[in-house]
Amino acid sequence: MISKRFIAKRLILLVPVVVGVASFVFAILHLSPGDPAIVIAGERASQEFIERIRTELGLNDPIWVQYGRFLFEAAQLDFGNSYVIRQGTPVREVLRTHFPVTLELALLGQFAGILFGIPFGLLSAIKQDSIVDHLTRVGALTGISVPIFWSGPLVILLFAQVLGVLPTSGRIAVEYSVPTVTGMVTVDSLLVRNWDAFVSAVRHLLLPSLTIGIYSMALISRMMRSSMLEVIRQDYMRTARAKGQGPKITIMKHGFRNALIPVVTIIGIQFGTLLGGAVLTETIFGITGLGRLLVDAIEVGDYPIVQGTVLLFAFLFTLVNLGVDLTYSYLDPRIEQ
Amino acid sequence: MSTDVQTEIGDTRGIVDRIRASPFLSELLRNRLALFGLAIILLMVVIAVYSRLFMDVGAITQSNLGSAPSMQGPCGENALSAIPGSASGCTYPFGTDLQARSIFDRVMYGSWLALKFGTAIVGMSTLLGVGLGIVAAYYGGAVDNTIMRVMDVLLAFPPLLLALALVAIFGTGLWKAVIALTLVYTPRFARVVRGAALKVIEDEYIDATIALGARDRRILVRHILPNSLAPITVQSTLNFGLAIIDLAALSFLGFGAQAGTPSWGLMLSNGVTQGLLSGEWWWSFFPGLFLATTVLGFNLLGDGMRDALDPRMREAVD
Repeated sequence: MISKRFIAKRLILLVPVVVGVASFVFAILHLSPGDPAIVIAGERASQEFIERIRTELGLNDPIWVQYGRFLFEAAQLDFGNSYVIRQGTPVREVLRTHFPVTLELALLGQFAGILFGIPFGLLSAIKQDSIVDHLTRVGALTGISVPIFWSGPLVILLFAQVLGVLPTSGRIAVEYSVPTVTGMVTVDSLLVRNWDAFVSAVRHLLLPSLTIGIYSMALISRMMRSSMLEVIRQDYMRTARAKGQGPKITIMKHGFRNALIPVVTIIGIQFGTLLGGAVLTETIFGITGLGRLLVDAIEVGDYPIVQGTVLLFAFLFTLVNLGVDLTYSYLDPRIEQ
Repeated sequence: MSTDVQTEIGDTRGIVDRIRASPFLSELLRNRLALFGLAIILLMVVIAVYSRLFMDVGAITQSNLGSAPSMQGPCGENALSAIPGSASGCTYPFGTDLQARSIFDRVMYGSWLALKFGTAIVGMSTLLGVGLGIVAAYYGGAVDNTIMRVMDVLLAFPPLLLALALVAIFGTGLWKAVIALTLVYTPRFARVVRGAALKVIEDEYIDATIALGARDRRILVRHILPNSLAPITVQSTLNFGLAIIDLAALSFLGFGAQAGTPSWGLMLSNGVTQGLLSGEWWWSFFPGLFLATTVLGFNLLGDGMRDALDPRMREAVD
């Protein structure tokens, strides 16, 4: 069990981080070289018009007034309206449509990483120095060395160009229209029990989530292997065997759970890389998620979108790490001390 | 008298003996994978230096349309615009791009850019991180808290996204991307160094130095820094590969290298958007291959260094 005190302590420690993160995001707008009013009005707008927009946006107020307003509004998830990309639309709305797309991709990528990473790492450790072990280690090392923006195109080349079996862009075939409930096409098509649409959505997601998951897979299997190797040599493992317990049960019951602790940590740490990978994967596979939105917003100077997206990504990453901390203390209660 | 004899023996010892005497180096040299990684890195350094000294940057940056075949496959025909009677045999081992530039030459030169800017990122973030980490560990209290809370804020962002946010502030360009990534990598070094330094500070010889009346700066530079150096070296090596990837990623997304620059990330981006679906795979394949191989080299070496440093890991591997 995780004690309430531990959770409370963790949450209190988060407060300065959250304020710091919000302050940095506020600074993005004010340290950037471009004038937001000119971005909205266009280069050729008259001086009075630009001045009017500056007043409307509150850019003429003292900086600390703007800062206070930003914190107050950000706490209500209000980041103002988009300047360019969806001019006039509240950023919150834009984020709401793009967020599920990225979440779906990241979750599937993470799922693939855990699904393949843990068994391979475990097998590699149990059969140390066997062919399986060597292959897994070489594969994992290659996996962490190959950048997503190379493995993605290679995957496209192999599966789509050479084999011609899977789609390489978009999220679902155009002939299917699925009502938006969660914003995740796989879930939405399941909700209306449109099986063909579900299959199409899964086929579209397969290559992107494989691409984004390779790194997680590699990192998790490496950590699982080295952690398991360390655990196998512990005294309590020998004790369990000595009292007559079979090797399989000993490894699963005593070894696996203890070896999992560092693996959980690495899952949290690499989740940040996974979110960065989403930006690249969405660019390669033509998926309109948060990552692609951020890149587009930086290109055109749509600062409210940049602020909202960056804050949302940081929030997501912090949340996952909090979850990791709590899982960690569940797996090893000594950590709370 | 006896110390004089010892120094003399120490001086006459060959380098081989000295390496044998160091458990870290001898362990590292016994690791074949780490040596393979080192070989890759050295090969890349040779290619980089050669390209920098002997290649004409103008020729690989500007368009060669009209004087060379455009989009020609590796050593092959099927060029988009072949120049009759020219470029027979294997003039372009990696093919050419849309501007009829030799991808082989550009990829070779790209290794110079990658190593140069990678060194800049890792070098600057190591210096900054080491400074901040050691100061935080030694002074503790409010200094430690202030430094480490700022580092926590930077660590709260997914790395590439923090780099993108900083790029939104600084603007586009390779050096700006380098500065952005330096800020992204600094907190990792600060954390590792702080941890290492805290362990060193607990050692008795630091108490002894303080008792002898040494000043803060002397203790920090002469005692704590050298003894925290090992984990820093490992961290730098492992992060070198990541830094090259992240810099290429920023160029890939259009925020790093400017059009025409033979950077691996930018070449990959052009190759993917303009050449992948039309079948010109070589345009993006070779820059990616060089990038991945270089990163693999740093990961192999970094892994070996970490194993050589941590005796517990060594036991686990044996």
